[in-house]
Amino acid sequence: MDRSTELTLYVAGQTPKSVAAIRNLERICKEYLDSSYAVKVIDLKENPRLAREHNIVAIPTLVRQLPVPIQKIIGDLSDTEKVLVHLQLGDAA
Amino acid sequence: MTTGPGLDALSIEELRHRLHDAEETLRAIREGDADAVVVRSADEDTVFALAGGEDSYRAMMEAMDIGAVALDDQERLLYANAAFCALIGCGAADLQREGLFARLDARTADTVRGTIVQARDGRHQTQFVQTHDGADRHLMVTAAPLPLAFGIGSALTFSDVTVRVEAAVAEESERIAQAVIASANEAVVVCDRSGRIINANAAACAVMPGELAGRPFEQAMPLIFPNGSAATRTEDLIAMAGAGKAVKGLEAFAPFASPPKDLLVSVAPLRLTGEAPGGSVITLIDLSERKAIEKRQTLLMHELDHRVKNTLTMVLSICSRTLSGSDGLDDFRVRFTRRIQALAATHNLLADASWTGIDLSAMIRSELAPYLSSSGPRMEIGELDRSVGPDVAIAFGLVVHELTTNAVKYGALSAESGCVTVTGRQLERDLYEVAWTESGGPHVKMPRRHGFGQTLITRSLARGDGTGATVDFAPGGVVCRMILPIEGRA
Repeated sequence: MDRSTELTLYVAGQTPKSVAAIRNLERICKEYLDSSYAVKVIDLKENPRLAREHNIVAIPTLVRQLPVPIQKIIGDLSDTEKVLVHLQLGDAA
Repeated sequence: MTTGPGLDALSIEELRHRLHDAEETLRAIREGDADAVVVRSADEDTVFALAGGEDSYRAMMEAMDIGAVALDDQERLLYANAAFCALIGCGAADLQREGLFARLDARTADTVRGTIVQARDGRHQTQFVQTHDGADRHLMVTAAPLPLAFGIGSALTFSDVTVRVEAAVAEESERIAQAVIASANEAVVVCDRSGRIINANAAACAVMPGELAGRPFEQAMPLIFPNGSAATRTEDLIAMAGAGKAVKGLEAFAPFASPPKDLLVSVAPLRLTGEAPGGSVITLIDLSERKAIEKRQTLLMHELDHRVKNTLTMVLSICSRTLSGSDGLDDFRVRFTRRIQALAATHNLLADASWTGIDLSAMIRSELAPYLSSSGPRMEIGELDRSVGPDVAIAFGLVVHELTTNAVKYGALSAESGCVTVTGRQLERDLYEVAWTESGGPHVKMPRRHGFGQTLITRSLARGDGTGATVDFAPGGVVCRMILPIEGRA
């Protein structure tokens, strides 16, 4: 699968910020990204060891794997502008 | 917090990057951007919810007294609080293991599923009845969509609203009962166990005006019972109800009412809960109108009896006096029949007037009509706008009949040129003079014998106080002056 943007969201079950982060990420992708992106959601409550791949400590954390370099942002992603700028997504990329 | 490969193996750039990550993580936790952390150890990694995150929500849910349940989109139980477990009588572990719907009866499960379906577009609430431990209870289930990480689940709350529903039913029953009492035609008084009035409807207030609530019944309505009644005092009514006894149809008199009333009283114990009477319900029906009708009927019966006896006496008298003055059976038959017909005509006029009074001129016209014609003889009646009572009317009718008979046989009505003039004149007090004057007839002679007709004329109207009649056999025509007690204007 050839994707120009790959995102991984790390959540912890149904914590309020995890739930909010999922919903906000869905909205951001729909509104600001074109079709060339891939999103993966990983529930660390099911398998905490998956946090090691990206050295995740705080949850929720969104990781931009591609394009490199890897970027991270912690929180529920409710500040759309901060997400777009920090991860250089959409027009901010 | 985190461990990793030896720091000395990392490049400066990588170390800077790690430091930035660590600082960012601390900031996020400090500022509340994160509500969970991953803690690594040699054996296993663990996720911990931070204070203020999921744990505090759960603590709050556990403290709630309504049942709370979270399901995922596959109806799998994510969470159920203690209140819900208590509501369905199931341990948390069993519920977690078996799932929600396995612990619900089929009807309740259908209701809950239906509510979840209805709540897809927003919150939905259903109230239903569930049999639990052999008794019915009213439950309210509220469903709302629950956004989860992997789909949309359902947030459910369950409340036992039995007490609220029963209170509403009781309140409605109370409202209906109050409306029934208030709209009853009979006076209804409700007393507590001590006999103090706690409710009285408008009809009761009509019997005894003023504020009744709070007053002892026997003080508010001191009734008088006739001898031989089941109650001798008002207090007895309360005592009967207190003993669980119901009594119907006691007649009583209420001298305190304005006007005083005859009442029909019934009392029954007020059953609230349990066997012991919680008070008494007293109904009072106003008999005043019925009593007045009964009195009037009795009076009418006596009056009818009196009149029938009078009439029979009069008929017997007419019969015997007609017989003694008759020249034979045929003569008797004619005279007697005419006199009885005159009596009947007066009765008819009285009946038409409901026996309340009769117009004098109507009686005269009725009697004279058969003997008058356009060619003569004539009748002239002046203003006689007076009415008389039934007894006087009957006597007056017979007198007019006798005068007419005489006039037809010997007087003004025996000649075509004859004329009978009747005039009236008010005298002092309630007396009225009617003058019968004949003219234009044959020359009048004094009769040789005093017959029944003359006796009837002179005596039947005599009722004392100046009443009576005189007959003057004047040569130009008979003149009869009758003085009557009158009732008023016709």
